[in-house]
Amino acid sequence: MALPLAPGLTPSEVAFLCEMELVTVIPRQRLPSLELLAGPTARVEPPFPTPLPLWFALLLKRQRRANISPPPWLSVESLTAILDFETDDRTAGVFTPASPLPTSTTEPYMDRDPYLDSKSLESSPPFIIDSSTARAPGDALPYHWLELSHLLLTHAADDFVDADTVRRLVRDLREVRMSKLRKGFGVLDAGAGVKMNGVGAMEIAEVRGFVGGVVDGLRKLNKSREESRRERELEERESGMGRGGYPDDDDDDMQL
Amino acid sequence: MDQDIQDILASVSAPTIPQRSIDLQALTRAWVQERTSPELLPYPSDLIERTMERLKKQIDNIENMTGTMDPQANFTLVIFQTELERFKFLIRSFLRARIAKIDKFAQHYLAQPDCLSPLEREYLHAHSSLLSAHYSTSFLSSFPIQLQKLDDTTGGISMVDKPDEDTAVFCRVLRDILEPVEVYGESETNDVELRRGDVWVLRWSAVREAVIRGDIELI
Repeated sequence: MALPLAPGLTPSEVAFLCEMELVTVIPRQRLPSLELLAGPTARVEPPFPTPLPLWFALLLKRQRRANISPPPWLSVESLTAILDFETDDRTAGVFTPASPLPTSTTEPYMDRDPYLDSKSLESSPPFIIDSSTARAPGDALPYHWLELSHLLLTHAADDFVDADTVRRLVRDLREVRMSKLRKGFGVLDAGAGVKMNGVGAMEIAEVRGFVGGVVDGLRKLNKSREESRRERELEERESGMGRGGYPDDDDDDMQL
Repeated sequence: MDQDIQDILASVSAPTIPQRSIDLQALTRAWVQERTSPELLPYPSDLIERTMERLKKQIDNIENMTGTMDPQANFTLVIFQTELERFKFLIRSFLRARIAKIDKFAQHYLAQPDCLSPLEREYLHAHSSLLSAHYSTSFLSSFPIQLQKLDDTTGGISMVDKPDEDTAVFCRVLRDILEPVEVYGESETNDVELRRGDVWVLRWSAVREAVIRGDIELI
């Protein structure tokens, strides 16, 4: 019964997540709006492009009921530009910045709100509107870029203008970014405070075991040193407070 | 200018997101976070209840639709069933990830049953009493009395396995965190500022509160 998997999503689970992304479908057949569990779908009427979840789009595609129009960032020009950015020496330390999250529309969390309350639930990938539809920005890779390109290139290759070039560029991009990620591990520290803006979901799935293992392992090795330092800092802070006019009344507090 | 228009559009279109779509987002996040966090997170009982209710209705709906010979209806059925299976996978994987943690740290959660659902609590008690009965009949009873405990904490070392709160987790900041978070480095302690959209590898103990508030999500 219990799940026998280690913490962290497996690549197939990441692909499952990615299938919730909306993509733009160019229908060949009419389909009424359906009352799905996740809300009603858009009405499909040829020849109007319609946003649909990827799993749905792939189903339509397989039955030749629709074509999928690839997002702008998955084009030869955009990928070439992004690849140039990734291979540039001046940006050797960072990934292509992801497009910023859309303006927040939710209320801040209030005390005693339940966990995952719908009022304060901030949306995030794969539910960001227009991250992989035809209206997506062309200059940034979304969080699920690798899985999405893989799925589209496998199941809808005929919808690309030049699928082979796109495939090659995606593979180059993946390799460049992976080597960057590996180089970045030089800064891995027992403190577990590594910033990784722009990283993709599948890339995290690939390195999670390694990064987690190194950070946790280093932390365990440095545990005694860290504890003594933490104590020292605490003492320094307390003695600083003491000089500031609060003679050590900690013990008194304890007794009250 | 463009940004302004987007803001206006966002504020106009936001309220129209149906509750069901928000629930899917919440359920997805619950699953991802449960799969990636070292510790059990609170059980979102309302969310699971609502989703299960809808699943039941949808199954009834699908059962009513089967039997028609119309090819168009058949295709609709395929779509409904595919989506149903996706939801079932989410819920199943979510619950199984929780059971895995409950099994692993049974003694710990026996002492702190706050984030368990009633069913999980029942399972935990039944399972651990079965286990301890089995242990005592097979070998514990032949030990000296003082060595028979399963949750001995004397001697400075606790027998109870606990989730490691300092495990490194990958997370995305969803709302700016106003107070800088302390990060213990190899040689010094740093304060880092967490801004909306940033992706970090941090210790679970440093972000736990923010994750439960929804200001940070695990990825």
